[in-house]
Amino acid sequence: MTSPAEEQTEISQRVPSGCPVIHLDASAPLEAGAHWEKANELRETSPAFFNSHAQGYWVFTRYDEVREMYQHPEIFSSESITPWDPDPVYRFVPTQIDPPDHAKYRQLISRWFAPNAVNRITPQAHEIGRRLVADLAPKGECDFVSDFAMRLPTEIFLTIIGVPNSDADLFVPWVEDFFAGFGGDLEQQTAMGAALGGIRGYWEDVLEDRRHDPEPREDDFVSLLVNSTVDDEPLGDALILDILTVLVLAGLDTTRGQLGYLFRHLAENPDDRRRLIAEPELIPTAVEESLRMYTIIFGDGRKVAQDTDFHGCPLSKGDMVYGLVSGANRDPRVYESPDEFIVDRKANNHLGFAGGPHRCLGAHLARRVMQVAVEEWLKVIPDFEVTSEEPLMERGGGAMMTLLNLPLTWEVTS
Amino acid sequence: MKLTVDVNICRGHGRCYSLAEGLLTYDEDGYVTPRGQVIDVPADRADDARNAADSCPEGAIDLIDD
Repeated sequence: MTSPAEEQTEISQRVPSGCPVIHLDASAPLEAGAHWEKANELRETSPAFFNSHAQGYWVFTRYDEVREMYQHPEIFSSESITPWDPDPVYRFVPTQIDPPDHAKYRQLISRWFAPNAVNRITPQAHEIGRRLVADLAPKGECDFVSDFAMRLPTEIFLTIIGVPNSDADLFVPWVEDFFAGFGGDLEQQTAMGAALGGIRGYWEDVLEDRRHDPEPREDDFVSLLVNSTVDDEPLGDALILDILTVLVLAGLDTTRGQLGYLFRHLAENPDDRRRLIAEPELIPTAVEESLRMYTIIFGDGRKVAQDTDFHGCPLSKGDMVYGLVSGANRDPRVYESPDEFIVDRKANNHLGFAGGPHRCLGAHLARRVMQVAVEEWLKVIPDFEVTSEEPLMERGGGAMMTLLNLPLTWEVTS
Repeated sequence: MKLTVDVNICRGHGRCYSLAEGLLTYDEDGYVTPRGQVIDVPADRADDARNAADSCPEGAIDLIDD
């Protein structure tokens, strides 16, 4: 049986450079794991494709090319990062700012999410994790992606920003509604707009509050932004609100997605689970392995800033390219046993957090959230399994992937 | 063995100092230190140095065998 996705990607012709042409629209939900299988198939068929989806864009499928794309912002601009939309109406800061301006904004924010800052809130992160697990444990079951995986990163994020973590009650539904519409579901557009309005309105109130402070607050990110300058100019309200909104949209749903795949793996692989219980010092490498093998980024887009011959593909200024991160992270040219989850894999240079100047700013925080989740969960719920009559489904690769549901059950001990 | 991190290529992923704790550490912004200079790797840390170099997503770490 061939799935619709497979029919879509049948090679139909070649562009003049010899590059094979596919038609791949990856926006629809598929059975869990199907996006990585598709990425594997594309990568082993050709290092480059021209995809006739939308206005058409180049696709690079292997590790070296994807990394090269990330490392050359002078050729591959972040002006658009969605290859099917070369001229987006929005501009995320610092995500879509190119060097040299990029560094000015990035430096403002990145220290707040650097290891020292993450270490500062780690005791609170563990407390949050312990509380959430303690609440769920007596129930014997949950939908992991909505009951735990969304809540944990949201509360920890709000803690590091310096606002009450109980406001997760507001953020969890906003983020859910936003991403229900972001994948293109037209029925969800109103809810998505309302969610975005809610998020922005929340930060407007915090911002208004911080502007009236007689002096800067300690450990308070909004206060830091209010008191910062770029090129000797204070940041305007609109820019501050953009930055805060981007952090919410970039940080919470993504961590939820990664956690879902990691916990599905642990549920289905008792040996790996037991090993992490016996050797908790391996949790960080297991987290990295899940970021490699179960990367939620199907691919990442860039806009060509100058005419270039890139590995035989004649790129013209204004063309869009798509680096297939899911292909790169399982490239057998780079990884031994790339489709195997190796709990203690040491040589792991995955691109799950992108690379180059736009390397995921929240990477250190995301890793810590995932480590806390595994540690606190396994202490209380060492054995659990996936219980689903239906195959698990994952969101399409147009946005970041995530399991749509992950029903877990476990035995309740008194 | 000697190790050096290219300051122009490092993007602060932090993979190296988590795998080679003690040999490499980090600054306030999460970038590895020391970088841009050649450091000696003690013989008993050679495996850690190799893991660090092989785990850098930017390929910013060079190892020089004695």
